[in-house]
Amino acid sequence: MTGVRQLFLSPLSVFSGLVAGFILLPLAYIIGLAVASPLAVWSRLWQTRIPELLANTASLAIGVSAGTLLLGVSLAWIVVRYDFAGRRFWEWAIVLPLTIPTYVLAYIYTYLLGLGGPIERAWQMWAGPDVHVFSPYSYAGATLVMTLDTFPFVYLLTRAALLNFNVSFEEVARACGASRWGTLLRVTLPLIRPAIVAGLSLVILYVVSDFGAVSLLRYPTFTYAVYQQLTGRYDRAAAAVLSLLLVFFALIILITERWFRRRSRFYQTTGRYRIPERHACDPIGTAFITAYLGIVLAASFGVPALLLLTWTGAALTEGTIDSRFLGFVWNSTFLSGVAATVAVLIGTPLAYLATRRSSRLIPLFLQAAYAGYVLPGPVGALAILVLFSQLAPFWYGSVVVLIVAYVVHFLPAGLQTMEPALQQVTPNLEEAARSLGHGTRVVLTRITLPLVRGGFIVAWVLMFLQCMKELPATLLLRPVGFDTLAVRVWLEASEEYYKLAAPAALLIVAMTLPALFLLVSKDWRAA
Amino acid sequence: MNEHAHRPVVELRKVSCAYEPGRPAIVDISLSVLEGEILCLLGPSGCGKTTTLRAIAGFERILSGELYLQGSLVSAPGTLVPAEHRRIGMVFQEYALFPHLRVSDNIGFGLQDIPTQERAGRIQAMLSMVGLIGLERRYPHELSGGQQQRVALARALVQNPVVLLLDEPFSNLDPDMAGKMRGDLHQLLRQTKTTAVLVTHDHEEAFAMADRIAVLNQGRLEQVATPESVYHTPASPFVADFVGQADFISGIVHNGSISTEIGMFPYADGYQDSAKVVVMIRPDDVHITPNEDGEARILARQFRGSENLYTIRLVSGQLIHSSESSTAMYPPGTPVEVSITATHTVLFEQGDPS
Repeated sequence: MTGVRQLFLSPLSVFSGLVAGFILLPLAYIIGLAVASPLAVWSRLWQTRIPELLANTASLAIGVSAGTLLLGVSLAWIVVRYDFAGRRFWEWAIVLPLTIPTYVLAYIYTYLLGLGGPIERAWQMWAGPDVHVFSPYSYAGATLVMTLDTFPFVYLLTRAALLNFNVSFEEVARACGASRWGTLLRVTLPLIRPAIVAGLSLVILYVVSDFGAVSLLRYPTFTYAVYQQLTGRYDRAAAAVLSLLLVFFALIILITERWFRRRSRFYQTTGRYRIPERHACDPIGTAFITAYLGIVLAASFGVPALLLLTWTGAALTEGTIDSRFLGFVWNSTFLSGVAATVAVLIGTPLAYLATRRSSRLIPLFLQAAYAGYVLPGPVGALAILVLFSQLAPFWYGSVVVLIVAYVVHFLPAGLQTMEPALQQVTPNLEEAARSLGHGTRVVLTRITLPLVRGGFIVAWVLMFLQCMKELPATLLLRPVGFDTLAVRVWLEASEEYYKLAAPAALLIVAMTLPALFLLVSKDWRAA
Repeated sequence: MNEHAHRPVVELRKVSCAYEPGRPAIVDISLSVLEGEILCLLGPSGCGKTTTLRAIAGFERILSGELYLQGSLVSAPGTLVPAEHRRIGMVFQEYALFPHLRVSDNIGFGLQDIPTQERAGRIQAMLSMVGLIGLERRYPHELSGGQQQRVALARALVQNPVVLLLDEPFSNLDPDMAGKMRGDLHQLLRQTKTTAVLVTHDHEEAFAMADRIAVLNQGRLEQVATPESVYHTPASPFVADFVGQADFISGIVHNGSISTEIGMFPYADGYQDSAKVVVMIRPDDVHITPNEDGEARILARQFRGSENLYTIRLVSGQLIHSSESSTAMYPPGTPVEVSITATHTVLFEQGDPS
């Protein structure tokens, strides 16, 4: 009698419903706020800001997509289909740029490309004193920085698709008389297209919701505009309208990504498949490939990391790292630790119910929890700001607001890790334990917890590090004078105090490294 | 039939392949496939049959020897005419249908350079030939296993290949479907007069399909012959055992015949008197009759529907098998008399590895 079960709501599902509602609230509130905005606000924005913002956001998304497509697919192809000295190193090293938050890379490039910066000086030595490189505060600058920061998404997904590619498809095409190029264009690329598109969707989602890079490079997109409306003009209605458009944008991309992912299921061959033979490279080929990989990695990770190290070293000797800095470290760690713990505690019942699917409501709750995804940082911050100022003004301007914002924003990412961990614990396992005469408590402590512990720790670490990196919500919601590492980097970088920003930035990058390792090693298969 | 009817379409001259140096996959394979012929490469997994097929297709380089397609050299050490220039058709074990293309586009994949009108006509003709009319707009994941196989077959045949290569084409189908598809494929190949090389590990499949069978073992060719010869006069104990139930009993050559514990066998050409040999016998050559004085005992009976397969223990302890009619049922332990009804004798030297 499944009907009976569906009607029955356990305390657990009531709690999950509350959590889901709580997470949905900001989104609902933004929509309400935007819809209730006077028509004058809409028409004013439409006449002044929206066309420009739309054009900027869209062109940035297109430029970065093109760049990441080129870099990501070519790198994945090289690493999977060619054999050369150091391949295993490069295969792994290419994902390193993911450890650098966009605002850090942006700040490095404002220095590198800036007026009188090292690139310009080098260029002038070669081409004469009157030449200039393009300004980092431009479309080109923003595109470059975002491309260098996000191409690993496309690389990772394309690489995985190529590794799972059944070479029989290519052989059949050859047997049908198709040339190497024909096979690539008519068979291989179309077959890995879902993976490439999924990667690009992630990139675009990242681009449209990014605040750090565009704010430092002063390139006005929707997120930046929302922030400006909130801080410069204190115009919540306008911010809500712009947010709604941004949410709409993000939603479309998210749905596209899901659709393509579902499609890719049909594209995977079941059963046996053979990995294609690697093309062994001669020394010249190896030199070319290594040069290409080296340039990309140097621009996206090597040079920035080196600069951060040098500046941090200088800061250390100059004694800039004082007790104030340690205070920032503590602020960041404390906030992130509390937020990650709360998120794991709140997420557990949701993830548990999701794997049991005992009620029709549960998938709905889960979808609601994922709503945090389509709320870019400043938008979520805006919603929580307004909500708290009206519902719980006594908490307004306290750390609590910030923690709530983190949980709402990063719970989806955590759930994605917790859900599969719980899925390993099939009801059968628990039932088997019960049939052996153990009660619920024993089942929980001896079966369920040991099995899910690993996944939950990973989820906690991932959420912790996301919180450490978080910038826009922190900027908007932090109590007065309460700075985190990310905020410090942004504030110093905005003033072009490159050296002062370095220690905090380096610390964030260094702490993100293990998280990247966790994330990648989960389904990493050496090619 | 004209002169050309029996020229070899595929010819291998002492071909060897290796995936890693020092670990050859196939060694000195020489065989030819005649026009219109269906040749089966038969052997256990890892025997090199698929490697041989892939060498013919041009997907594997060869280490030594020469490989000819229609009389022209296509593979030799240092030479490899790419697969797309060999005019072969290939059907993979898992079919490898392009999942992003509809049935008709899958079939027409190799017909790029042909005018649209003609291409559509040829696809249509192929669809009707393999019985897929009405499914041309479907995607591969919307087809059953048997339908997928037909598409793979149609895609390979539509280009009029000089030789059709099939890698275990029935292994992904359930037995009923495989049996039906076997018959259909055989008819289709005959109807289109297609030369085909088929890889299988199933001797019954090889018997049903092949004009000739090439048996491979550990990378070496053991025998190339008609299914009947492979079964009745296997060239080695391995072949004898692989293509059906076989027992080997030792005997001694004596005056032009062989004496064994179950009686005398005729024909011992080429063997010295008192040479020790091994005689191969098949269960259908062994007949048993219950007899109180019989020294052999029934050890077990296995009911197979159309026959009863008895395991018999001889006095010496040697086990042999006997195939009796479906209704001849005797309990284990029954003493029996064993008689042999073979029309010919298959002999191996004692100590031959089997």
